Amino acid sequence: MAEPAVKVNDLSHWYGDLQAVKDVSFTIMPGEILGFLGPNGAGKSTTIKVLTGQLSLKKGNAVILGRDVGKDDPDLQSQIGVTFEEKNLYLEMTALENLNFFASLFGIKEPKSLEALQRVGLADRAKDRVATYSKGMRQRLMIARAFINKPKVLFLDEPTDGLDPVTATEIRRTIKEEADRGAAVLLTTHNMHEADELSDRVAFINEGGLVALDTAENLKLKYGKRSVRVRLRDGDSVREENLPLDGEGSSSRLSELASSPDLMTIHTEEATLEAIFIQLTGRGLVG
Amino acid sequence: MNDKITGTNILFSVLKKDILLYSRNTLYLFLTTLSLVFFIVIFWLVPDTVDEDITLAVSPSIRTMVLEGKEYLESRGVPGFLLQLIDEEDIALSEEGLSLVEFDNEAMMIKALKGEIDVFKNADGKFIPYDQSIDGEKPADAKKIRLDMGISFSPSFIGEVLHGDVSSVTIYLDAEVPDDIKVALQGFIREMAFQLAGRDMPVEFPAEDAIIIGYDRLGDQISMRDKMIPMIAFFMLMMETFALASLISNEVLQRTITALLVTPLRVWHFLMAKTIFGTLLAMGQVTLILLLTGAFSASNWALLLLTVLLGSLLFTAVAMVVGAAGKDFIGQLMFSFIFLIPLMIPAFSVLFPGSVAAWVSYLPSYPIVDLFYSVSILDASWADSLQSLLLAFFWVVVLYSAGLFILKRKVDTL
Repeated sequence: MAEPAVKVNDLSHWYGDLQAVKDVSFTIMPGEILGFLGPNGAGKSTTIKVLTGQLSLKKGNAVILGRDVGKDDPDLQSQIGVTFEEKNLYLEMTALENLNFFASLFGIKEPKSLEALQRVGLADRAKDRVATYSKGMRQRLMIARAFINKPKVLFLDEPTDGLDPVTATEIRRTIKEEADRGAAVLLTTHNMHEADELSDRVAFINEGGLVALDTAENLKLKYGKRSVRVRLRDGDSVREENLPLDGEGSSSRLSELASSPDLMTIHTEEATLEAIFIQLTGRGLVG
Repeated sequence: MNDKITGTNILFSVLKKDILLYSRNTLYLFLTTLSLVFFIVIFWLVPDTVDEDITLAVSPSIRTMVLEGKEYLESRGVPGFLLQLIDEEDIALSEEGLSLVEFDNEAMMIKALKGEIDVFKNADGKFIPYDQSIDGEKPADAKKIRLDMGISFSPSFIGEVLHGDVSSVTIYLDAEVPDDIKVALQGFIREMAFQLAGRDMPVEFPAEDAIIIGYDRLGDQISMRDKMIPMIAFFMLMMETFALASLISNEVLQRTITALLVTPLRVWHFLMAKTIFGTLLAMGQVTLILLLTGAFSASNWALLLLTVLLGSLLFTAVAMVVGAAGKDFIGQLMFSFIFLIPLMIPAFSVLFPGSVAAWVSYLPSYPIVDLFYSVSILDASWADSLQSLLLAFFWVVVLYSAGLFILKRKVDTL
C-alpha cells in the first residue's frame, strides 16, 4: 500500500495564549483530496501555515513526502504548491512574468507558464499586468502559480472564496485534474458544496479541533437523518409530508401515502454536510 | 526540465524580478531622473570660483580725508612742511585682499549698503557707484557687486589721529554679516589709527603673519559648486532609500513575501537580494552623479568608490528599517522622514562650515558626508580618511544589523 503523502499527528499551534489548532491528526494519500471544512477562525488556515512552513511547528509532528515538517527544508518546499487567502501576486508584473519568476525559484529551466495560464483560462491576458485583473482572474492566477512546479502536495486555502459560480467551477475542475495527476490536495473551505463535490474525504474542524473525518457519504450515513418528502393533492392546493425513514411506524405511513389517489411525488431527502456540521458542532459554517 | 536549485540561482531570480519591478515604478523612476537632472543643473549653475577679496565701503574718499586732515592740522598750528609729508598715496588703507569702494558722503554709502543705489566694478578694478534715477545708462563692461560692510570716518579722521585727538568712526553692516566681522573691522580701524599716528601696535608678528596648518587654500578656496558634491551624493543616496523602502514595503504589504517563503527561497535569500539590489542601485546612481560632477580623480577614485559603497550600504539598511516599519505609503513616508531628516544635517553642514554643533559628528551619516567632502574636495589620502572610514564602517554594521533584524522579524510575523 502506498505511503501517505501527508501524515499529521497531534498537531497543535498557539498564537500567544490562544490555541488555534488542537491535537489535529490526519493523512492524505497521493491523488486524494481532503476537504477541511469549518467556519472562519476554526484553525484551517493555521494548519496549512504550519504544514507549509509559514508558522513554526510547536507541538505534534507532521511528515510530508517522507520529510519532517518544521525543519528548514528547501527540497520539501520545491515539491509543494500553495494558494493563500490573500491574493499575494506581483501586481506590476504580467501573469506570465509572475509565473516565470516563481518557476525560476523552483529551478525550472523551461517553465510552461503559458500552458498553465491556458489551463486556468488566462492565456489571452498573459501579457497584461495583474493590477488590471479582476478578483476572479487573480484567483485563477494564484491556482496556476501553485501548480507551476507540478507539486506532489497542494495546499489550497479557500481557493474559490468570493468567486462567481462559473469561475469557481473552472477552478474546481482544475483542482480535480491535479488530484488525478497524483497530487495530494489539502483544501480548506467553508463551502459545503465544494467540499462535497471535490473531496474524497472531509474533515470537520471547529475551534481548532477535528470533529469528524470520513468520506462525505459515510458522514451523511453516520450522522445524517434519512427522510422522504411526499407531495399530495389537497383540493386545489398541494400538501407536503416529511417522513423520517428511521422512525417507528414511518414505513407503514409511507405505504399508506404511496397508495393514496392524491399522491403527486415522492422525494428521498439526504442530509447535507452543513446540517451534519451544525449537528456535530452546534454552529453553522459561515461566520 | 529543472536546474539544480542553488542559492545563487534564487538570488539572481529575485534580483531580476526586483529590477523589473523597479523599472515599472514610474513614480520613483521619474523622481530619480528628475533628481539626477536637477542636481547636475544646480551643480553647474552655482559659481565655481571664490572671490577672496573683502569689499569695504568707506566714506568720505581718501582724498577728502587727506585734504580735510591737512586743514584740521593746519588749524591746530602744525607747520606747512610737515603737512606736505602727508601724501594720499601713503595712506595705506588698501591691503592685499581688501578692496575699498569710496563714497563722497555717508548718506550715499548708506544708500549703496541698503541697495538703493548700485555699485559696479569695471575691468580696471575701479568701482563706480550708479544711481539709476540720476546717472542714466549703466556702466558698460562692468560687473555689479554687492556691498554689505561700510565704514564712515570723520572727514578729518587723519588729522585728528595725527594730532592725537579722539576721532569717531561708524561701522555699517548688513544684517546677514556675522557679528565677528564687526569686531574684526574695529580691530582693523584701530590698527590703521596706530599706523597713521606713527606708533607700532604693541604686538609683534613673526616674518609670516600666520602659519597655516595643513594645505594653505589661499588662492585655492573651495567654491560653492565643489561644496555641493557631498550634498548631491548624499541626496541621491537618500532618493534610493525611498525607492528600495517602497520595494520592501510592497513585498510586506502585499504579502508576496509569504508566497516566496513557501518556495525553496529562504529569508536570507530575500534579505541578501534586497541588500545587493539596494546597494547596487544606490552605488550606480551616486557613481554616475559623481562622474558627472567631476568628483573622481586619478588619486581618489578607489577611496571615493569605497565611500560610495559604505554610503549605499548605510542607506540600504535605513531602507530595510523603513520598508519593514511602514504599514502603507504614508507610514513609509513618515518613517523615511523620521530617519532621514537627522541624517541630512551633516550634508548641510558642509555648506556652512564652522556652524556644526558637536553632536552632529555622532550622527551615522556624518562620517560618510565627511568622507565625501575630504576625498572629493580636499583629495584626502587613505591615511587621512582612516578614522572616518572606520566610523562609517561601524555605523554601517550597526544600522545594517538593525535593518536585518527588523525586517526579518517583520517577515517572520506575517
